[in-house]
Amino acid sequence: MSARYKSISWNRSKVVYDTVLAFAILAFILGYLKLAPSLPGFASAVELPIQRIRAFGSCAFLMLSVLLCIGPAARLDRRFLPLLYNRRHFGVMTCVVAAAHASFVLDWYFAFSRLDPYVGLLVANTSYSQWLGFPFEIFGIAAFAILLVLAVTSHDFWLKFFTPPVWKALHMSVYAAYALVVVHVAFGALQDPKMSVLAMSFFLVPPAIVVVLHIVAASHHSPSSETVKASAVTSESWLPVGSVHDIRDGRAKVVVLDDDSEVAIFRHSGKFSAVTNACAHQNGPLGEGRIVDGCVTCPWHGFQYRPDDGCAPPPFTEKIATYRLKREGELLFLDPRANPPGTYVKPVEL
Amino acid sequence: MRNSDDNDGFFVGYINSLPGSAQWFVPLTAVLMVLGFASFGILAAVVQSDPGSGQFLWDAGEVNVSGVLEEHPYPLIHAEPSARFPQGRTLMLSGDGKRGVQKRVASLSGQRVDVSGFLLKRGTIDMLQVTATPKPNSTVMPQQTVNAPLPRSLGRWRLTGELCDGKCYAGAMRPGQGLAHKACANLCLIGGVPPVFVSTAPVEGHQFMMVADQNGMALSAEWLHRVAVLIEVEGAIEERGDLLIFKMDAASLKDL
Repeated sequence: MSARYKSISWNRSKVVYDTVLAFAILAFILGYLKLAPSLPGFASAVELPIQRIRAFGSCAFLMLSVLLCIGPAARLDRRFLPLLYNRRHFGVMTCVVAAAHASFVLDWYFAFSRLDPYVGLLVANTSYSQWLGFPFEIFGIAAFAILLVLAVTSHDFWLKFFTPPVWKALHMSVYAAYALVVVHVAFGALQDPKMSVLAMSFFLVPPAIVVVLHIVAASHHSPSSETVKASAVTSESWLPVGSVHDIRDGRAKVVVLDDDSEVAIFRHSGKFSAVTNACAHQNGPLGEGRIVDGCVTCPWHGFQYRPDDGCAPPPFTEKIATYRLKREGELLFLDPRANPPGTYVKPVEL
Repeated sequence: MRNSDDNDGFFVGYINSLPGSAQWFVPLTAVLMVLGFASFGILAAVVQSDPGSGQFLWDAGEVNVSGVLEEHPYPLIHAEPSARFPQGRTLMLSGDGKRGVQKRVASLSGQRVDVSGFLLKRGTIDMLQVTATPKPNSTVMPQQTVNAPLPRSLGRWRLTGELCDGKCYAGAMRPGQGLAHKACANLCLIGGVPPVFVSTAPVEGHQFMMVADQNGMALSAEWLHRVAVLIEVEGAIEERGDLLIFKMDAASLKDL
């Protein structure tokens, strides 16, 4: 959390995260350009500039694939949450590697001509009316443009500027970028008739893993959620949301309402409070968080809110919506009408 | 409704410590990620297909060639027998980078010239990257008759193969073929570099041949759409020196 804008609010976790990622990128590039050629039997006579193009392009493709696996992996296994914490840096570094790929392409395939490389990139191949020979570069350009916009707007300044829902929607376009990258590869590298099955699998398996992980993660989420139907509404519009014993101390239960909005009911020091399940930072799932130091703590980036009024502790200023709760015997009831963010609601005592 | 369970770790980045269950898991994941990236890098490199043997003959240095120059369909020179080419040789000519030499040879067609440059070689195909404007050979006596070898017709052929730019395919860029190289090849052809047809089956021992339109002239821009894709096309083939010229008939063109 940060009360003011800094270029990057570094902490040990971020430094370790970025260092590991930098080593991974270095390992890929060195493996491709240095280790592989030194292996016995390696006889590829591919020009070094083209090897650079391929190395950085493949690395960016792999990074984007891994990046998109982090979200569903963290949903399936909470131990992956530390990988999600600094995912934005992962995205920015992916964009940098993709930029290196694009730069090497311009400096080789589109250099040495009378045309400016940027002009050549757009006019050299205009076979838009055919499948084979389609200018696949255009997909790469579009994907890179999206990655660039996402990298530039990844800072919290833009998150605040756009508001979390808009920012989140904008950054979901990373999936469009990935789809474009897959098409870029499918119309380009995968069209090499000499490509081996092993080489093809390098480009086909990662997207398959991304798709399968998302499907599994989505189905993992659904069975454990229970939509409270309107028919279940009792007098005074209170919804029964289960027993007080359903919720362990410091944890939450998530209630999905008819309009698909979600409410997280936290138990904290023997009391119960209800807040929206969407973090004000990036719409993170607060109900999958914990009570840390008396505050609801988001599992994604650790943003905190007081459970009784939804306000971040000073000097922070974020606020989230609260909900009214009542207890009848051992049953909890929720008023599904959200209070304005930051509204104090007296916690229900056990 | 769902309960968050506590059989897993809860991580808060700024607290700078890993929860119990993640204390071995996260470092292990980090190590596996670095090793995995290295492995993928090596794997992606070793599975690259071999682009063939074309290359610049840099070791030969800048070579001087004398012979008769032809301008159409693309500039070429019939090199006279020499220490480098004891039987003589027909070389395609290109300029520096993705440039042809059409303007530099326009007034020299049919003349005996001296030309210098760097050689590229791939199988039966040879190209000279010209470093200076070819000059008429001053040792030729005015009454001496100098002619290009007479073209020899090899009849009409229907061939399957790929249109490439003769320079990259000859070795300036390996691999100089395939769809990933299409835009680069187009730029070369736009610049005037001679195109070649890489046939799936050799014609009289030649797998590569210079191409022309059915009238024996340079290809029109329409042919750029057919570059780097597998095509089937019919046309007359003639031998000029030891280079084959494939005069492609656009009406017979078929995408495969």
